[in-house]
Amino acid sequence: MQPGWQIPRPGLFWLLIAFAALVALHSNHLPIWIQLTALAALIWRIQIFRGVWSYPGRFAKTALVLLCAAGIVFEYRSFNDLDPLAALLVSGLTLKLLEIHHHRDALILIYLSYFVAIVQCLFFQTIGTALQVAACMMLVTAALAGIHQTQATRHYGAPVKTGLVMLAQAVPLMLVMFLVMPRIGSLWAVPQAQQATFGVSDSMSPGDFTDLSASGKIAFRAEFEGEIPPQRELYWRGLVLSQFDGREWSRGLDSGLGLSARSGSDSDSGSDSGSLRWSKRPGSAVNFSKDEIIERLGRPLSYTVTLEATGSRWVYGLSTPVPETPGIALTRDFTLLSVSPTLSKIHYDVTSWLDYRLQGNALSPTQRKQETRLPPQSNPQTQTIARQWAQQTPQPTALIERVLGLFNKDYIYSLQAPALGEHTVDDFLWQTRTGFCEHFASSFVVFMRAAGIPARVVVGYQGGERNLTENYLIVRQYDAHAWAEVWLQGQGWVRVDPTAAVAPERIQITVADLLANEKGFLADSPFSALRLNHINWVKKLRLRIDALDYAWAKWVLGYDSVQDSLLAGILGEVNPQRVGFLLLIAGSIAMLPLALWFMLTARGKPRSELDRLLLLFFERLKRAGVDRRSGEGLRSVAGRACAQLPALAPQTRTIAQQFELYKYGGLDQDLAGFGRQVRAYRPARAKTP
Amino acid sequence: MSASHKIIGGVVDTVESVVLGKRPQIRLALACLLARGHLLIEDVPGMGKTTLAQALARVLGLSYSRVQFTSDLLPADIIGVSVFDRERSAFEFHPGPIFSQLVLADEINRTTPKTQSALLEAMSEGQVSVDGETRLLPQPFFVIATQNPSTQYGTFPLPESQLDRFLMRIDLGYPDPESERRLLSGANPRTQLPKLTAGVSAAQLSAIQTEVEDVQVSDALVGYVQRLVQHTRELPDLEYGVSPRGALALLQGARAWALMDGRQYVIPEDVQAVFAPIIGHRLHSYASGEPVGAVVQQVLNSVDIL
Repeated sequence: MQPGWQIPRPGLFWLLIAFAALVALHSNHLPIWIQLTALAALIWRIQIFRGVWSYPGRFAKTALVLLCAAGIVFEYRSFNDLDPLAALLVSGLTLKLLEIHHHRDALILIYLSYFVAIVQCLFFQTIGTALQVAACMMLVTAALAGIHQTQATRHYGAPVKTGLVMLAQAVPLMLVMFLVMPRIGSLWAVPQAQQATFGVSDSMSPGDFTDLSASGKIAFRAEFEGEIPPQRELYWRGLVLSQFDGREWSRGLDSGLGLSARSGSDSDSGSDSGSLRWSKRPGSAVNFSKDEIIERLGRPLSYTVTLEATGSRWVYGLSTPVPETPGIALTRDFTLLSVSPTLSKIHYDVTSWLDYRLQGNALSPTQRKQETRLPPQSNPQTQTIARQWAQQTPQPTALIERVLGLFNKDYIYSLQAPALGEHTVDDFLWQTRTGFCEHFASSFVVFMRAAGIPARVVVGYQGGERNLTENYLIVRQYDAHAWAEVWLQGQGWVRVDPTAAVAPERIQITVADLLANEKGFLADSPFSALRLNHINWVKKLRLRIDALDYAWAKWVLGYDSVQDSLLAGILGEVNPQRVGFLLLIAGSIAMLPLALWFMLTARGKPRSELDRLLLLFFERLKRAGVDRRSGEGLRSVAGRACAQLPALAPQTRTIAQQFELYKYGGLDQDLAGFGRQVRAYRPARAKTP
Repeated sequence: MSASHKIIGGVVDTVESVVLGKRPQIRLALACLLARGHLLIEDVPGMGKTTLAQALARVLGLSYSRVQFTSDLLPADIIGVSVFDRERSAFEFHPGPIFSQLVLADEINRTTPKTQSALLEAMSEGQVSVDGETRLLPQPFFVIATQNPSTQYGTFPLPESQLDRFLMRIDLGYPDPESERRLLSGANPRTQLPKLTAGVSAAQLSAIQTEVEDVQVSDALVGYVQRLVQHTRELPDLEYGVSPRGALALLQGARAWALMDGRQYVIPEDVQAVFAPIIGHRLHSYASGEPVGAVVQQVLNSVDIL
């Protein structure tokens, strides 16, 4: 390009809009100062265009680059994560905006913009994000079309139309690539935030669940084969907590059957622990090598869980689950564990039996000791009272009834739990008497253990919102719940939910309906549509949108996991040749309608008899090496033919003359004889040199 | 071979003896006049524009006048003025140079728009109005205008609406080496001009013009012309396409070209031959300053004759 090249005005217009859209797209994870820098750069670029300001000089540019780099280093302190890299990319884009001197600069900016747009998909995978990214792509394409307009055009709408058309044309090919192209493992590792985990954590202390109730974020969705079980059956077990230090519940070193269900922080995948059997093949039942400790009764219940990223390894299932998806394992606590931390949305199939008997006959001495252990000095009042009650009511079931009766009578289920002192259970049980599920679960288990009954805390989610549009269940963070399991001779581990004794509604209806007016509920999302649940159409609309998002997760994001088997089903064996062949066929099929459309429109009106003859004549000449140039007339072609094929010159001239007279000279057409004459015209084929 | 064809061939040969090596341009200029159109010759000074115009005037045997357009030329200088005759106590009209059969308007874009439009009015109407009286111009009436490229200093470019009055715009270009050598070794063409004799009478010229009108245009050819102009309207490079008047002009020019070829019907090659001179100045490219020549050729290449 010559010096002084100026970006066409529509091109710049759409480039700036695309840039603003990209920054807005990334705004939810970009630091505010980068957004402000972007805004400043935008204004600067407009002022450059207006001729008010000039381009930044070499010194200013260097200073800006150093400042931005320093700012990012200062902001993130490390580059081992996605956020700083995205921030670096966006600030690069921002600074390049001030440097459009040549056509190629604009091109670089546009190509970089495509990349910046797609990076957002590493952060979020919802349908909303996909639509936003597509819109940005459209704007960038419009900018691309815009910078290729001629200087004088100044059509602002035309580039958008071009962009839309180009994207629409790309759709069939995109679908084919999406469906057929095998997913190659990532060529480079995308650093992910390791420390950030969401949802239920692997320890529980008072106040944890109150915090969770502030969030309306989706934890997971579950789709059942058949009816969704009633609300009170929906206990999504996440972790079993057996270790109590007087304040906090944790899994402890010896969880489950005294064999460690290694998870979370462990580096190995548990293959050597002996406690886990990773389900390598879907459908393979998981049996423990040791004695059978579970009796599954009743009908199995199959369902698919779509879990949002949690950053941790434990995943959720109903009671006595059997994972059907590779990479999901069963622990000896009968909870589910994933091979690696779930950093993005995952799907897994589970079969559960809601009716079961777990360790019904006996509890090993070690386990009995583990499940009745309490720190000796903590909560003395509770321990004393529990021992008294155990003497008064030796029958465990009766004792449980008595404690639940106590809860039911005097206690308040509320998000506003007062602060607790050193002996949390004592303070809660005999002083404040107001608390959330974790207070009740914790106190109940402590009470039971003090009374000599093996008991443990289970954390996970309870209930969920039914989306009837698609017949699935939405479980949100505020559905997080803690309950207890008590071991009874002959019955094994039995679920006891003290919260149900205090506030039976919690188990029967959704939390959203129960807590809607509580202070602190959904505190993190003041504008959430969940707050408007009492308005019927808002709720319906929200559920419809969620159904759409779920369908997206299930069919589009979830396609990766089924593609392998689908490809294997079609191809028999998946190898590059066969995949390439399939790509070719599928691509051709996708392009077929387009090709047909072009064919039909290009043919136009049916040809007249004379025109068909004329085309035949041209075809014969072409075979003889006299190729008609596009738009060339008959006389000119015939002239060249006479020169090239002197032997046939008189015949060629006669035919051409006749054609001319018929077509332009107004001579009455007598095509019978003339047709024979034309068909008989066969110049020798041109010799290929 | 019709008589008119022979006459035209003679005229072309005669003109070419003066304007060396410019046969295609001479043929185009003649076709333009036979189609009753006005001709615009655009080129840098010294390419033989005036010589061509004068040679045509002499060979066609037409009364001829030349107006050198300058920036201070007034409409009355072209059309004429009424002067008071004291003896008769009446105004007497003194016709200006426009009252000739062939007017050479030299360097038309050097004068002001006011004067330009006085000439252009006469061109389209075939008459002039002076002091409330309408005076008919002699028949046949041709204007051959020359103009310097609009990029040169001291020019008032003709607006599109006035360019439209010219049937054709041609440029002459440098002569080929052979012709230029002949030109340099021979006598000055200007001095040979007076020696040219008329090769055609006024009646013959009028007859040939009538003959042009009668050249046959088939449906197939009308379809071709229509597709050509339609295509110019759909090209993204052009601000606007060819108007229906432009399409009519194209057909008229093609008729004249066919007759000069000795045919009584028009074929696509005729249209292609006159397409660039007739359409070129009626189109406006977005990329201002860029010649539309490439676009014109592109139109011809993209529209099939069938």
